[in-house]
Amino acid sequence: MIKIPTKVLLVDDEEDFAEMLSLRLIELGEKVVIAYSGQEGLDTLAKTSIDVVILDIKMPGMDGIETLREIKKQYPIIEVILLTGHGSTETAVEGMKLGAFDYLMKPADFSDLAAKLEGARKRKDEQEERIRKAEAKLLVRRSGGAF
Amino acid sequence: MKNIRLLLVDDEDDFRQTLAKRLTKKGIPPEQAENGQKALSILENKRMDVVVLDVKMPGMDGIEVLHHIKKRYPKTEVIFLTGHAATQDGVHGIKTGAFDYLSKPIEFEHLFGKIKQAYEKIEREEEKLKEAEFREHMEMQMVTTEKLASLGTLAAGVAHEINNPLAIINESAGWLKLIINKEEMAQMPRKQDFEKALNKIEKGVMRAKRITHQLLGFARKDDSVFSEVNIMELVEEGINLVNMEAVYKNIEIVREIAPDKNTIWSDPSQLRQVLINLLTNAIYATNVGGKITIRLEAMDETITLIVQDTGQGIPKENLNKIFEPFFSTKPPGEGTGLGLFVTRGIVEKLGGIIEVTSKLGNGASFYIMLPRYFKIKKDLDQDERIQFLEHLAEQSNSTQ
Repeated sequence: MIKIPTKVLLVDDEEDFAEMLSLRLIELGEKVVIAYSGQEGLDTLAKTSIDVVILDIKMPGMDGIETLREIKKQYPIIEVILLTGHGSTETAVEGMKLGAFDYLMKPADFSDLAAKLEGARKRKDEQEERIRKAEAKLLVRRSGGAF
Repeated sequence: MKNIRLLLVDDEDDFRQTLAKRLTKKGIPPEQAENGQKALSILENKRMDVVVLDVKMPGMDGIEVLHHIKKRYPKTEVIFLTGHAATQDGVHGIKTGAFDYLSKPIEFEHLFGKIKQAYEKIEREEEKLKEAEFREHMEMQMVTTEKLASLGTLAAGVAHEINNPLAIINESAGWLKLIINKEEMAQMPRKQDFEKALNKIEKGVMRAKRITHQLLGFARKDDSVFSEVNIMELVEEGINLVNMEAVYKNIEIVREIAPDKNTIWSDPSQLRQVLINLLTNAIYATNVGGKITIRLEAMDETITLIVQDTGQGIPKENLNKIFEPFFSTKPPGEGTGLGLFVTRGIVEKLGGIIEVTSKLGNGASFYIMLPRYFKIKKDLDQDERIQFLEHLAEQSNSTQ
């Protein structure tokens, strides 16, 4: 079976971490783009097609939550997985209320991350599928069933 | 005043016996000695509060006896009886440590008053001593609490900073593992060595992660959620979580919990953590085939939860240390030394007290006393300390 790569945007100001995690994900067959700040992440989203964003909460400048708000406002269908430090569970919960798919505590267990990534990707695919079907129905109704 | 232990030392029998009679009438029956030697042998068997001592005696004279008394029983007060107009002896006596002196012939009421004063002085000194001891104890405890608090803050900061590089190490090792397991790497030389080292790195990271998370857990902000907690249900949950280990070691877990009065108002998830920590420790300490008893003593205002094991017990010298951070008797890598430290932190945050009793070879008992209704405090830091000191005061009162 050929794996369809998930297009991942990794947003983390910790450069070494971002690089290593992206290499690991790429090794698993995903397509990864890195951004080192919230703003850079949003800029990337504007010009690249992305399925899932892995987003660090604690960043200087525009923090994870702010970035998440912006992402969900502009690209509601893109799924976001939050990376949190310990003790910021409240922030993670807040993030999920804002529409994040899930959260992980750093240093994250890779199998957890992989599983959540897959779950997020699946949810996005399903949502897109539903949208497609709804659009098709709409099209059928408009054209009165006569193509 | 009634229970003054008094010793009368004088070689003049008539004088001494008359005095003894009068003192007995006044409610202070004294011991008697007709010379210094006898006085010292009495003192050896029985502690005296006040000694009334004649200076001029054959054999060992008063000054010499006084020397001995002050050297061996510094708390005992001595009243000198000097000959008529022998002020010199009296002054010498006071310099040597006597409470005061009276010149013969003495007035009984005068002597009686002096004995009273000497006894009051002893009482005052004892009180001062007790107070000083109490204060010292309290200060020591306060230093410890403050030390722990600042240590907690520091540790949390360090733990947080360490988590980031840990994550980098983790991802790097994980990436390398993925690479060497690729098909094209099947023929890689010394592949097993690489695998072995990478596994060790990952295990090391996991171990460090456990420590940082526990440290952060201790210093975590106050995010307690309070609700009505049924202790019996909580105990069952706790037992379920550790039951595998207990079954494996064939340990019997006994519950002694009356079904009534076992609900309290507290934070269930934190209490569960406390229970799991204590049960895990108890199982670790208990030998195969041993027994763990969980008992609940419910009062109107407080409850006491007791976790008792039949393990090897805690040596006396360790009893004070087990709640300190990083104190562990487990082999390196198995225990973080933070379990009981965190447990105590939680219990105190919930307004409770944790105590331990143990005898080497006879197991250990952990007592958690919790208020039935946790009162939410305005100034948490301040209040916690006051409560802590009050508890100390209670303890020292009950031992007096």
